[in-house]
Amino acid sequence: MAFNNMFKNAIDDTNRNKNIGTFAYLFHRITGIGLVIYLILHTYVLSSAISGKESFDKRMGFVQSPLFAVLEVFLIAGVFFHMLNGVRISICDFAGLTKSHKLFFWIEIALFAVIMIITIILQVPKMQSGYYPGM
Amino acid sequence: MAEKVSNQSLLTWFLQRLSGLFLAFFLFTHIDVNHFLHQGMINFGVVSERLSGSFGWKLYYFLFVPFCIFHALNGIWAILADYRPSGGFSVFTKAVFWILGLILTIIGALTLTNLFSGRG
Repeated sequence: MAFNNMFKNAIDDTNRNKNIGTFAYLFHRITGIGLVIYLILHTYVLSSAISGKESFDKRMGFVQSPLFAVLEVFLIAGVFFHMLNGVRISICDFAGLTKSHKLFFWIEIALFAVIMIITIILQVPKMQSGYYPGM
Repeated sequence: MAEKVSNQSLLTWFLQRLSGLFLAFFLFTHIDVNHFLHQGMINFGVVSERLSGSFGWKLYYFLFVPFCIFHALNGIWAILADYRPSGGFSVFTKAVFWILGLILTIIGALTLTNLFSGRG
Protein backbone atom coordinates (compact mmCIF):
# COMPACT_ATOMS: atom_id res chain seq x y z
CA MET A 1 0.00 0.00 0.00
CA ALA A 2 1.23 3.47 -0.76
CA PHE A 3 -0.04 5.37 2.25
CA ASN A 4 3.45 5.51 3.83
CA ASN A 5 4.63 8.70 2.16
CA MET A 6 1.27 10.29 1.43
CA PHE A 7 1.99 13.66 3.04
CA LYS A 8 5.56 13.82 1.73
CA ASN A 9 4.28 12.92 -1.76
CA ALA A 10 1.59 15.59 -1.58
CA ILE A 11 4.18 18.23 -0.66
CA ASP A 12 6.60 17.00 -3.38
CA ASP A 13 3.84 17.05 -6.00
CA THR A 14 2.90 20.59 -5.04
CA ASN A 15 6.53 21.72 -5.20
CA ARG A 16 7.01 20.17 -8.64
CA ASN A 17 3.85 21.69 -10.11
CA LYS A 18 3.44 25.18 -8.74
CA ASN A 19 0.37 25.88 -10.85
CA ILE A 20 -3.02 27.34 -10.01
CA GLY A 21 -4.59 23.94 -10.69
CA THR A 22 -2.36 22.18 -8.17
CA PHE A 23 -3.24 24.61 -5.41
CA ALA A 24 -6.93 24.45 -6.31
CA TYR A 25 -6.72 20.63 -6.14
CA LEU A 26 -4.87 20.75 -2.82
CA PHE A 27 -7.32 23.19 -1.21
CA HIS A 28 -10.24 21.15 -2.59
CA ARG A 29 -8.87 18.10 -0.74
CA ILE A 30 -8.09 19.93 2.49
CA THR A 31 -11.50 21.66 2.62
CA GLY A 32 -13.17 18.37 1.66
CA ILE A 33 -11.59 16.49 4.56
CA GLY A 34 -12.42 19.38 6.91
CA LEU A 35 -16.05 19.41 5.79
CA VAL A 36 -16.42 15.67 6.39
CA ILE A 37 -15.17 16.16 9.96
CA TYR A 38 -17.59 19.08 10.32
CA LEU A 39 -20.49 16.98 8.94
CA ILE A 40 -19.96 14.42 11.70
CA LEU A 41 -19.77 17.13 14.40
CA HIS A 42 -22.87 18.79 12.90
CA THR A 43 -24.74 15.47 13.04
CA TYR A 44 -23.68 15.05 16.67
CA VAL A 45 -24.96 18.53 17.64
CA LEU A 46 -28.27 18.28 15.75
CA SER A 47 -29.00 14.68 16.77
CA SER A 48 -29.77 16.03 20.24
CA ALA A 49 -33.19 16.83 18.72
CA ILE A 50 -33.92 13.10 19.06
CA SER A 51 -33.92 13.54 22.87
CA GLY A 52 -36.18 16.56 22.58
CA LYS A 53 -36.37 20.33 22.67
CA GLU A 54 -34.40 20.90 25.87
CA SER A 55 -31.25 18.97 24.94
CA PHE A 56 -31.36 20.45 21.42
CA ASP A 57 -31.57 24.02 22.73
CA LYS A 58 -28.80 23.36 25.26
CA ARG A 59 -26.38 21.99 22.66
CA MET A 60 -27.36 24.60 20.07
CA GLY A 61 -26.83 27.33 22.68
CA PHE A 62 -23.30 26.09 23.27
CA VAL A 63 -22.37 26.31 19.57
CA GLN A 64 -23.77 29.83 19.14
CA SER A 65 -21.28 31.67 21.31
CA PRO A 66 -19.00 34.46 19.97
CA LEU A 67 -16.15 31.94 19.63
CA PHE A 68 -18.23 29.80 17.30
CA ALA A 69 -19.20 32.89 15.27
CA VAL A 70 -15.47 33.25 14.52
CA LEU A 71 -15.06 29.56 13.71
CA GLU A 72 -18.08 29.73 11.39
CA VAL A 73 -16.21 32.17 9.13
CA PHE A 74 -13.64 29.42 8.48
CA LEU A 75 -16.44 26.89 7.99
CA ILE A 76 -18.24 29.08 5.47
CA ALA A 77 -14.93 29.81 3.70
CA GLY A 78 -14.30 26.06 3.40
CA VAL A 79 -17.81 25.40 2.16
CA PHE A 80 -17.78 28.10 -0.50
CA PHE A 81 -14.27 27.37 -1.72
CA HIS A 82 -15.13 23.68 -2.09
CA MET A 83 -18.47 24.51 -3.71
CA LEU A 84 -17.20 27.07 -6.22
CA ASN A 85 -14.16 24.97 -7.10
CA GLY A 86 -16.39 21.92 -7.56
CA VAL A 87 -18.70 23.85 -9.86
CA ARG A 88 -15.65 25.16 -11.76
CA ILE A 89 -14.15 21.71 -12.40
CA SER A 90 -17.59 20.38 -13.39
CA ILE A 91 -18.11 23.21 -15.88
CA CYS A 92 -14.60 22.74 -17.30
CA ASP A 93 -15.01 18.96 -17.62
CA PHE A 94 -18.58 18.67 -18.83
CA ALA A 95 -18.64 21.72 -21.11
CA GLY A 96 -15.22 21.02 -22.60
CA LEU A 97 -13.73 24.26 -21.28
CA THR A 98 -10.62 22.77 -19.66
CA LYS A 99 -8.42 25.15 -21.65
CA SER A 100 -10.02 28.10 -19.83
CA HIS A 101 -9.66 26.60 -16.34
CA LYS A 102 -7.42 29.43 -15.16
CA LEU A 103 -9.93 32.08 -16.19
CA PHE A 104 -12.65 30.15 -14.37
CA PHE A 105 -10.37 29.91 -11.33
CA TRP A 106 -10.11 33.70 -11.09
CA ILE A 107 -13.88 34.07 -11.56
CA GLU A 108 -14.23 31.56 -8.72
CA ILE A 109 -11.86 33.55 -6.49
CA ALA A 110 -13.74 36.79 -7.25
CA LEU A 111 -17.09 35.21 -6.28
CA PHE A 112 -15.45 33.68 -3.22
CA ALA A 113 -14.14 37.09 -2.15
CA VAL A 114 -17.58 38.70 -2.50
CA ILE A 115 -19.22 35.92 -0.46
CA MET A 116 -16.55 36.13 2.25
CA ILE A 117 -16.92 39.91 2.55
CA ILE A 118 -20.69 39.45 3.05
CA THR A 119 -20.02 36.62 5.51
CA ILE A 120 -17.61 38.66 7.63
CA ILE A 121 -19.98 41.66 7.69
CA LEU A 122 -22.80 39.39 8.92
CA GLN A 123 -20.65 37.45 11.40
CA VAL A 124 -18.93 40.38 13.16
CA PRO A 125 -21.97 41.37 15.29
CA LYS A 126 -22.31 37.72 16.41
CA MET A 127 -18.64 37.68 17.41
CA GLN A 128 -19.21 40.61 19.73
CA SER A 129 -22.43 39.63 21.43
CA GLY A 130 -23.19 36.04 20.48
CA TYR A 131 -26.44 35.31 18.73
CA TYR A 132 -28.75 36.12 21.52
CA PRO A 133 -28.49 38.40 24.55
CA GLY A 134 -28.07 36.40 27.70
CA MET A 135 -27.06 33.13 26.09
CA MET B 1 -0.46 4.15 -21.27
CA ALA B 2 -4.17 4.42 -20.66
CA GLU B 3 -5.20 2.21 -17.78
CA LYS B 4 -8.53 0.53 -17.83
CA VAL B 5 -10.90 2.30 -15.50
CA SER B 6 -13.51 0.05 -13.95
CA ASN B 7 -17.13 0.93 -14.59
CA GLN B 8 -17.69 1.19 -10.87
CA SER B 9 -14.97 3.83 -10.46
CA LEU B 10 -16.43 5.76 -13.36
CA LEU B 11 -19.91 5.57 -11.87
CA THR B 12 -18.77 6.75 -8.42
CA TRP B 13 -16.77 9.57 -10.03
CA PHE B 14 -19.87 10.66 -11.95
CA LEU B 15 -22.12 10.35 -8.89
CA GLN B 16 -19.62 12.46 -6.92
CA ARG B 17 -19.95 15.23 -9.54
CA LEU B 18 -23.73 14.87 -9.69
CA SER B 19 -24.24 14.91 -5.92
CA GLY B 20 -21.76 17.80 -5.72
CA LEU B 21 -23.83 19.92 -8.09
CA PHE B 22 -26.98 19.16 -6.12
CA LEU B 23 -25.14 20.07 -2.90
CA ALA B 24 -24.03 23.38 -4.41
CA PHE B 25 -27.71 24.31 -4.56
CA PHE B 26 -28.64 22.72 -1.20
CA LEU B 27 -25.72 24.16 0.78
CA PHE B 28 -26.06 27.62 -0.72
CA THR B 29 -29.71 27.70 0.37
CA HIS B 30 -28.94 26.12 3.75
CA ILE B 31 -26.23 28.65 4.62
CA ASP B 32 -28.23 31.52 3.19
CA VAL B 33 -31.29 30.71 5.31
CA ASN B 34 -29.47 29.80 8.54
CA HIS B 35 -26.51 32.18 8.60
CA PHE B 36 -27.32 35.11 6.32
CA LEU B 37 -31.08 35.72 6.27
CA HIS B 38 -31.67 34.53 9.84
CA GLN B 39 -29.63 36.65 12.23
CA GLY B 40 -31.05 35.59 15.60
CA MET B 41 -30.53 32.54 17.77
CA ILE B 42 -31.41 29.22 16.15
CA ASN B 43 -33.26 26.92 18.51
CA PHE B 44 -35.80 24.11 18.38
CA GLY B 45 -38.73 26.50 18.06
CA VAL B 46 -37.22 28.43 15.15
CA VAL B 47 -36.29 25.29 13.22
CA SER B 48 -39.48 23.33 13.80
CA GLU B 49 -41.60 26.38 12.95
CA ARG B 50 -39.85 26.66 9.60
CA LEU B 51 -39.97 22.93 8.87
CA SER B 52 -43.16 21.56 10.40
CA GLY B 53 -45.65 23.25 8.08
CA SER B 54 -43.79 23.03 4.82
CA PHE B 55 -43.67 20.02 2.51
CA GLY B 56 -41.01 21.77 0.45
CA TRP B 57 -38.57 22.06 3.33
CA LYS B 58 -39.22 18.44 4.37
CA LEU B 59 -38.44 17.19 0.87
CA TYR B 60 -35.42 19.50 0.73
CA TYR B 61 -33.86 18.15 3.94
CA PHE B 62 -34.69 14.50 3.26
CA LEU B 63 -32.78 14.84 -0.03
CA PHE B 64 -30.03 17.07 1.38
CA VAL B 65 -28.96 14.72 4.21
CA PRO B 66 -28.36 11.55 2.12
CA PHE B 67 -26.67 13.59 -0.64
CA CYS B 68 -24.30 15.09 1.95
CA ILE B 69 -23.44 11.75 3.51
CA PHE B 70 -22.88 10.11 0.13
CA HIS B 71 -20.70 12.97 -1.12
CA ALA B 72 -18.64 13.04 2.09
CA LEU B 73 -17.91 9.31 2.31
CA ASN B 74 -17.48 8.87 -1.45
CA GLY B 75 -15.08 11.81 -1.42
CA ILE B 76 -12.94 10.27 1.33
CA TRP B 77 -13.03 6.98 -0.56
CA ALA B 78 -11.81 8.76 -3.72
CA ILE B 79 -8.86 10.19 -1.78
CA LEU B 80 -7.95 6.75 -0.41
CA ALA B 81 -8.33 5.19 -3.87
CA ASP B 82 -5.68 7.63 -5.17
CA TYR B 83 -3.12 5.77 -3.04
CA ARG B 84 -3.88 2.41 -4.65
CA PRO B 85 -5.03 0.48 -1.59
CA SER B 86 -4.85 -3.31 -1.54
CA GLY B 87 -7.95 -5.39 -2.24
CA GLY B 88 -8.44 -6.34 1.41
CA PHE B 89 -8.18 -2.73 2.56
CA SER B 90 -10.66 -1.61 -0.12
CA VAL B 91 -13.27 -4.20 0.84
CA PHE B 92 -12.86 -3.39 4.55
CA THR B 93 -13.04 0.40 4.03
CA LYS B 94 -16.06 0.16 1.75
CA ALA B 95 -17.86 -1.97 4.33
CA VAL B 96 -17.02 0.53 7.11
CA PHE B 97 -18.17 3.47 4.98
CA TRP B 98 -21.46 1.78 4.05
CA ILE B 99 -22.20 1.05 7.72
CA LEU B 100 -21.14 4.57 8.77
CA GLY B 101 -23.27 6.08 6.00
CA LEU B 102 -26.27 4.03 7.03
CA ILE B 103 -25.88 5.02 10.70
CA LEU B 104 -25.52 8.72 9.79
CA THR B 105 -28.58 8.51 7.52
CA ILE B 106 -30.68 6.93 10.29
CA ILE B 107 -29.52 9.56 12.83
CA GLY B 108 -30.30 12.26 10.26
CA ALA B 109 -33.76 10.88 9.53
CA LEU B 110 -34.62 10.61 13.25
CA THR B 111 -33.35 14.15 13.87
CA LEU B 112 -35.40 15.53 10.98
CA THR B 113 -38.52 13.64 12.04
CA ASN B 114 -38.25 15.14 15.53
CA LEU B 115 -37.72 18.64 14.18
CA PHE B 116 -40.60 18.24 11.71
CA SER B 117 -42.98 17.04 14.37
CA GLY B 118 -42.68 20.36 16.18
CA ARG B 119 -43.07 18.56 19.51
CA GLY B 120 -40.45 19.12 22.20
